[in-house]
Amino acid sequence: MHRLMLLAPLLVLVPGRAAGQLPPKAPTFDRTVAPLLASRCLDCHGAASPRGGLDLTRRKSALAGGKSGAVIVPGKPAESLLWEHVERGRMPPKAPLSAAEKKVLHDWIKAGAPWGTDPIDPFRITTDRRAGYDWWALQPLGQPQQPRVKDAAWVRNPIDAFVLQRLEARGLRPSPPADRRTLIRRLTFDLLGLPPGPEDIDAFLKDDSADAYEKLVDRLLNSPHYGERWARHWLDVARFGESDGFEYDKRRPNAWRYRDWVVAALNADMPYDEFVRLQLAGDVLRPGDAAAVTATGFLVAGPWDEVGQRQQSAVMRAVVRQDELEDILGVVGQTFLGLTVHCARCHDHKFDPIRQAEYYQLAAALAGVKHGERPIATPEVQKRRAILVARGDELRRLVRGVDGEVTRAILAERAQGQPPRPEPPRPVARWVFNADLRDQLGALHGTAQGGAALKGGRLRLDGRRALVATAPLQRDLKARTLEAWVSLADLAQRGGGAISVQTLDGVTFDAIVFGEREPGRWLAGSNGFTRTRNFDGPAETEASKRLVHVAIAYHEDGTIAGYRDGKPYGRPYRSSGPVVFKAGKAQVVFGVRHGLPGGNKMLAGSIARAQLYDRALTPAEVAASAGRVDHVEPAEILARLSPERRAERQGWAAELANVEKELAGLDNLKAYAVTPQEPEKVHLLLRGEPGRPGPEVTPRGIAAVHGLAPDFPLSPGAPEGERRKALARWVTDPGNPLFARVIVNRLWHHHFGVGLVDTPSDFGFNGGRPSHPELLDHLAGELLRRKGSLKAMHRLVVTSAAYRQSSRWSAAAAKIDADNRLLWRKSPARLEAEAVRDTLLAVAGQLNRDGGGPGYEDFLVTVFGVTQSFKNVDRPGPEYQRRSLYRTWARSGRNNLLDAFDCPDPSTNTPRRAMTTTPAQALSLLNNALVLRMADAFADRLRREAGQNAARQVERAYLLAYGRPAVGEEAAAARQFIDRHGLPAFCRVVFNSNEFLYID
Amino acid sequence: MDEVNRRDFLSWTGHGLGGAALASLLFRDGVLQAAPVPGESADRPPHHPPRARRAVHVCLCGGLSQVDSFDYKPALLRHHGESLTSGERPDVFFGQVGLLRRPDWEFRRRGRSGLWISELFPHLAALADELTVIRSMFAETSNHTPATFQENTGFRLNGFPVVGSWLSYGLGCATDDLPAYVVIPDTRALPAGGSINWSSGFLPARHQGVVVRSHGTPIDDLFPERPLDAAAERDSRDLLVQMNRRHLQARGDSDLLAARVRSYELAARMQLAVPEVTNFSGETRATHALYGLDRPETADFGRSCLLARRLLERGVRFVQLFSGGPFGGNPRINWDAHENVRVNHGGEAARIDRPVAGLLADLRRRGMLDDTLVLFTSEFGRTPFAQSAANVIGLGRDHNQYGFSVWLAGAGLKHGTAYGETDEIGWKAAEDPVPWHDFHATVLHLLGIDHTRLTYYHNGIRRRLTNVHGEVIEGILA
Repeated sequence: MHRLMLLAPLLVLVPGRAAGQLPPKAPTFDRTVAPLLASRCLDCHGAASPRGGLDLTRRKSALAGGKSGAVIVPGKPAESLLWEHVERGRMPPKAPLSAAEKKVLHDWIKAGAPWGTDPIDPFRITTDRRAGYDWWALQPLGQPQQPRVKDAAWVRNPIDAFVLQRLEARGLRPSPPADRRTLIRRLTFDLLGLPPGPEDIDAFLKDDSADAYEKLVDRLLNSPHYGERWARHWLDVARFGESDGFEYDKRRPNAWRYRDWVVAALNADMPYDEFVRLQLAGDVLRPGDAAAVTATGFLVAGPWDEVGQRQQSAVMRAVVRQDELEDILGVVGQTFLGLTVHCARCHDHKFDPIRQAEYYQLAAALAGVKHGERPIATPEVQKRRAILVARGDELRRLVRGVDGEVTRAILAERAQGQPPRPEPPRPVARWVFNADLRDQLGALHGTAQGGAALKGGRLRLDGRRALVATAPLQRDLKARTLEAWVSLADLAQRGGGAISVQTLDGVTFDAIVFGEREPGRWLAGSNGFTRTRNFDGPAETEASKRLVHVAIAYHEDGTIAGYRDGKPYGRPYRSSGPVVFKAGKAQVVFGVRHGLPGGNKMLAGSIARAQLYDRALTPAEVAASAGRVDHVEPAEILARLSPERRAERQGWAAELANVEKELAGLDNLKAYAVTPQEPEKVHLLLRGEPGRPGPEVTPRGIAAVHGLAPDFPLSPGAPEGERRKALARWVTDPGNPLFARVIVNRLWHHHFGVGLVDTPSDFGFNGGRPSHPELLDHLAGELLRRKGSLKAMHRLVVTSAAYRQSSRWSAAAAKIDADNRLLWRKSPARLEAEAVRDTLLAVAGQLNRDGGGPGYEDFLVTVFGVTQSFKNVDRPGPEYQRRSLYRTWARSGRNNLLDAFDCPDPSTNTPRRAMTTTPAQALSLLNNALVLRMADAFADRLRREAGQNAARQVERAYLLAYGRPAVGEEAAAARQFIDRHGLPAFCRVVFNSNEFLYID
Repeated sequence: MDEVNRRDFLSWTGHGLGGAALASLLFRDGVLQAAPVPGESADRPPHHPPRARRAVHVCLCGGLSQVDSFDYKPALLRHHGESLTSGERPDVFFGQVGLLRRPDWEFRRRGRSGLWISELFPHLAALADELTVIRSMFAETSNHTPATFQENTGFRLNGFPVVGSWLSYGLGCATDDLPAYVVIPDTRALPAGGSINWSSGFLPARHQGVVVRSHGTPIDDLFPERPLDAAAERDSRDLLVQMNRRHLQARGDSDLLAARVRSYELAARMQLAVPEVTNFSGETRATHALYGLDRPETADFGRSCLLARRLLERGVRFVQLFSGGPFGGNPRINWDAHENVRVNHGGEAARIDRPVAGLLADLRRRGMLDDTLVLFTSEFGRTPFAQSAANVIGLGRDHNQYGFSVWLAGAGLKHGTAYGETDEIGWKAAEDPVPWHDFHATVLHLLGIDHTRLTYYHNGIRRRLTNVHGEVIEGILA
């Protein structure tokens, strides 16, 4: 059934502004005929691909008719094919027009079919089928007056006036205020997601001051647990997960930093607009600010299809990338604007006034967003880093001083007797790209593909299709060294291969790769990174200006060492051992990481020379090959030093090694965040298909949002960062009415269980209508007046009389408003999954309240090839007994207990959770290992705190679990049960009870 | 099954709770509904009289080679060792296009219907007259996981509900004692992505697949790890009922809270039903043999198939059996025969051929096949050319999204027929191509559901299993 019809009896709909949006003298056509054609005919008879050749959007084409000739004869309905079809109910095919609608068309043709605005804009006016530009949510914020109410004494703040007005209009009365025990329990769960302790309750009950409640509110809002509680709500809409999903479901070890950023931002009451701007563009708004970079984790918190991105087919890769953008665009539109922009990827939005072109315009602003890890550094880390860098420089200077002296002596001796240049090692293949692609030493001659060309003594590679592939190897290759003199077209490229040895099918390979895992750095690439990882070398700064020499040596024992300009690059590491490339089954390629051309595998730049060795070169050999004449082996230097100086020098060297190790660790601080890349041109894609590009588009907002201009102040070809900045400004513009409405509704949703709009991420036609439209605008205005302070908004809401009502059921009120959308009581709330677990731990006295840092893992991981598989387990110990927010949210590593209580799939964004009641919940609370362990711990705690007396144990149990003393027969029943079956069994029953799970 | 396992298995009924005690806990008075869930559509099925009441899905992970199993292509025999004649450069997953390769198994006409089926599945071939083969399936991607998502959810992405969840949502369960949607993973490993493959996506979590294992603990948290004393268990539930009643009385009439009381009754019934359904001691020796429980190579999957039948018999709506674990790895434990079709498919088929045929035969002889739908699919097929260098007839085949075979059996179908065709060499669907959306529309249709009317509102869209597509394949309906 249609949502509109469901709510119609209850809710006052925002009055249609259809007529109001039009100039007062708009022709009849625009008022009546155009909306009818738009809502009932243009889906098929539109301009894009008109059915039967009939395009009814323009006067000219409408009068011209379709394949069966003219359909409108002005002035003569009886002779008009259109009228004939409509009258007989043949058109529209499945749902004939009503009599009134038919009359509109009849009268119009009769009147000579006068046209109005040409072409018809189907988005102009809201109809019963779709929203137009006059849709309520798109209008500027109203400034509603506080309504007059009969029971003015009930009103604590303006919220109550808006609520009471609607109640009174329906003959309902608010419920009496809840008692203090109920209030502190409700408020503590709502703001912190945890139960109040008996001492907290006691203090609140004893506080006689007039503002006892307000003080409590402030105390709770200042608790660090507040940020944890509300971060979880935010992570639901951010579809936050800590693994890639899809086939591999690889872990994202640095994704938790975004979670911590959200907690910290909420606890610090960061203004909401700032909170959002940083998540969209923190890295460009505050370059160098680790927290701001981390904030962009929002954009890439969703799943990522690594296999899809790496597949051979360029067509399919493009589809995968478009799917990825839809995820990002979808979550941006829904989270901040309540707009389902993603529904316009293949066609104009069916229900909201969003054009397909606008989808791609918005996509153009986000087209540079890529998943990845980004280095970050906190101020403390930066300080420590500076100290280490300074000390490292000092140590290097000391070592160099000693070495330099000795080296000079050695070199002087060499100059006298020996050849001035050390003999460079002898490769097995050499390519010098000044005249041809021939192997000067053997038979590995190259062939150019995709426009690879020799020019100015270099092999030119365009980064798109160009590559050179050689003939197959003539003998097996195990230990080896790859070497190339290479220059890069730009340092922002990610993943191109300079020289690579690969099997002929392109599947197995070892390559010198630039920027793939981390921007700007050289690394050894291999299939699926099965054998290689980062060198942690410094970022490249020179290769865009000149040739640099890069070499990678693969040792027999698995050691892989990188070199740049003849010197060691980063740190060597041990791999599982070199793959043997078989004669006749492998080859060398230049310009591509491996396989067929395309994707991010292509190097943009040039190569002057390259060499292949059938053994791993030593550092001295690499230095010699790079043309360095000043290389002296450390052993040679040490041999010349006196024992004292040698010890001194070795001491410095050892300390230097430690400094570098620590530095490397600090430089390894990374966040899973946006790793931007300059986007290619963005085109509208016909039917959303990458193979069918339409016109090019530039970044722009959604025009239908009233109150701010859709255009971004950007020059054509604006860089990636500027685009996101512009988007962030547009989204958070105070004139954007959706921005404030959507967030205050989210807050309301969590405080009351249902939002004023019950679809918190969809304010469009398919979403819900506001139950209290004026209250929504009032709250949105309050947020702006309170400078985006979410804590101020919480305070406003929870101090209202509406919030402080009792939750008691009333059959009479339920008859009028069964869903309690008018708020005649405070609806009881079941604890969310995380709160169930956190409360079990808290009540049992086992909750570890430490915040932040990497998550705990409540699963065992099996790795099969590169695929991760997770098995949920209960792990005792404080590190596993932190709040559920701190669990590691692997997408396929779910938790049985949390799942049973409707914990959502982290692959999908969840603006409102389902709240179901199932046998699986019963089984979980009865049998789950954690629950039983907590029942034991709770029993221990009761014995500890209440001694052996069963009456006192029951008393304490009720206080801890329910926040109230046991009364009358329930205490007796509990004591009897404990006598027969012991305290742990009783604790288990408590955990299963409704009073434990439901908050009044 | 070895003796130790069997004892483990049978011991379920010995756990904590006595049947009589539980029965006393069950309320006889009215069933209370939980609060409605936001998003649910009011247009609840059945939309028309169903042909099938339940379904079982054998889901092959990795990509079954159609040209080696159900799609007989004489031209492929003739062109063995030749290169592709069409000018098109195939856009295959690993980028390697070798020479055309003939099937590794001999094809023969089977049964009265004369359906062509290869020797890869000799036992299934004997039941050819039960099968409805679709030879013209095609997928949108040749990447395993998105293709598997599409096979099961209609979409290429994470986060959409699978067929079983849609059925649980649309039809619920025919019994209170067992979940509507049960998943039986391969005993060797979970498929890639594990629970992602039976996620309810944006549907309420209660519609997600419940894993029932054919070995070891059948369902997580069904019983406590340490069994509790039966009297303590009984008194616990009594006390709980008392406490919840008091809570209810203090707060007035609330459906939601009463529904919780009911959920404990259903949980108790599940505790009786699951050990019963996983206990095979009442099955005859002949049945054990029919499913291959007495043979080492088929015992694993045979147990899964027998369990599936027992679950269906007791009212479970949808049972999904996985054949195959994650992709990659060496040796592979799935159907992803990149290296060697003969070795890979030979081994995998040997595990499931007899059990699946046993399941079909057993459903038939019990009369259940008349209103049970059997589905046998993989996420895509394999290329008719080898995955190797251009001038080599390699032993393996790459992924092929453009044409592949699946089969259905049972209720409401034309039996012993094949629908649609691929091109001459079995590469691309050529006649009556069938996208997954059509397949899903047909499955729903057979179960009494109009695929355009089973919807759930999520983030701006009334979502369907078939997105905005899907046509019922009339040509395979009886």
